[in-house]
Amino acid sequence: MDSAYLLGVFDKEETMLSAFRKMKEQEIEIEDVFTPYPVHEILENHGRKSRITIVGWLYGFFATIGVLAFLFYTAVIDWPLNYGGKPSNAFPSFLVITIILVIFSITILSLFTFSWRANLWPSNKKPIYHPGATDDKFVIMVNKEKADAARASSVMKETGAIEVIEK
Amino acid sequence: MEERIKLSRIYIIATLIMIVVGIAALVMAFMGDPQRGWANILLNNVYFVSLAAGALLFASIQRVTHSGWSAGFIRVPEAMAGFLPVAALLFLVMIFGAQSLYHWSHTHEVANDPLLTHKAPYLNLPFWVVRMVVYFALWILMFVIIRRLSLKEDAVGGLDIFKKLEHRSKVFIFIVIITFTFAMIDWIMSIDAHWYSTIFAIRNFVAAFHHAAIVITFIVLLMNQKGHFPFLNKSHLGDFSRYIFMLCIIWGYFWFTEFMLIWYANIPEETTYFIPRIRGEGWRFFFFANIAINWFLPFVLLMPKATARNKTVLKIVIPILIVGQFIDLYIQIFPGIVGDQVLGFQEIGTFVGYAGLFMLVTGWVLSRAGLYPTKHPYLDECKNHHS
Repeated sequence: MDSAYLLGVFDKEETMLSAFRKMKEQEIEIEDVFTPYPVHEILENHGRKSRITIVGWLYGFFATIGVLAFLFYTAVIDWPLNYGGKPSNAFPSFLVITIILVIFSITILSLFTFSWRANLWPSNKKPIYHPGATDDKFVIMVNKEKADAARASSVMKETGAIEVIEK
Repeated sequence: MEERIKLSRIYIIATLIMIVVGIAALVMAFMGDPQRGWANILLNNVYFVSLAAGALLFASIQRVTHSGWSAGFIRVPEAMAGFLPVAALLFLVMIFGAQSLYHWSHTHEVANDPLLTHKAPYLNLPFWVVRMVVYFALWILMFVIIRRLSLKEDAVGGLDIFKKLEHRSKVFIFIVIITFTFAMIDWIMSIDAHWYSTIFAIRNFVAAFHHAAIVITFIVLLMNQKGHFPFLNKSHLGDFSRYIFMLCIIWGYFWFTEFMLIWYANIPEETTYFIPRIRGEGWRFFFFANIAINWFLPFVLLMPKATARNKTVLKIVIPILIVGQFIDLYIQIFPGIVGDQVLGFQEIGTFVGYAGLFMLVTGWVLSRAGLYPTKHPYLDECKNHHS
């Protein structure tokens, strides 16, 4: 298999971050970074901002309208019932159902959106570039076509990568 | 990093003027209608004891959770808890006004009222006083223990005291949840002695924690403006607002749960509490202003990252929320005691006076020890906090 990526494996957050900063400085394009836990600096400076929160907000907005319209339709238009003299359009009693269903909609729809965008679905096997990336190692991935692999490799070795491999 | 604050002369004079205004307002209230005077005293007593107890709870939670971000600010909630002994004295004054505040304290009325007779073993004046003394004894005891250990940590350092403090904080959290629940039943819910709500006390408990977090943030922001807490950054602000945001949701959740269930069940014994507050002349505005200010405003304004980490936004939101807590207690206390909606110099002036006393005591306690817990194990984490 032709190797398309250069992987720098680090065992400490600090060394990985110094490599990350240096590569940003030298404008070496980083394809992806795998970390065992969210590292804020990477999230902020990686240059790719997740838009899932905007999508989540929109799902919530439309789900609220949808659920309230559904409750209004069932309780007021289609089949009004008299519960202890309450008006049919008993708004405060709709709120709890609305909150629950909106949370449910946002969760499920965001999950599907995320899976679709990340190409994660059953039977679709994603490559694992380095076994350490699923464990406690920090892995910086560089696409050899987009960046200068030799310079990237030297930067990673300089800052203390425990191994630099091609894959 | 040793630093001690010194109260400026202007600060002391300003607080003293505020206290004089408060005394004048109280005298005016008592000359007009003694019940109104006592209602004012009760409201402000509960308001500021909530801040003090809530602040100690805040500090305890930071210790129990080993929170790093708040380690440098821990002296502020501790100083606020220093108001507890003063609050105890102010509450003891209330014994003389119990007859004006609580109609279950009139023995002849209780005798003619089967429901109050049934509640008499709990709701009677001697037991009420004993409970009050017990609450304050426990709170002040825990305050003294925690404060002493915290100051000792400054001198000695090491993990030994840190672990001890964690244990004492757990004890305090356990104590305050139980005692504060009963205190709220005794002091506020028993004004409407025929009515009861099982979620009432926890809602007020959360309100106390909510507003203590608000006032802690406010004090930190104001002191930062004067040059203290130089390490305060956007991440700290974000965490402070997260506390306010989280507590406003819990408070709003309990408020709505209480209201919605009573509204929906529509049982006359329960709705008697809400009818004068929603339909009564003048009260209606405060009833809805309560939920709008204490829940909706922080919920909307402190959710986006940009506003939650902005000092100016926080400095605008917090004073509104401080008024919000006043409205929350006002709508709970005044309809049951005074009846008509009254809000004048008496109410505002008394609040200003209590605020002055609170500022004076908090400032004095804060100036008694170093501003930063220099040997707190998480102090460095606090200074380099990033989230």
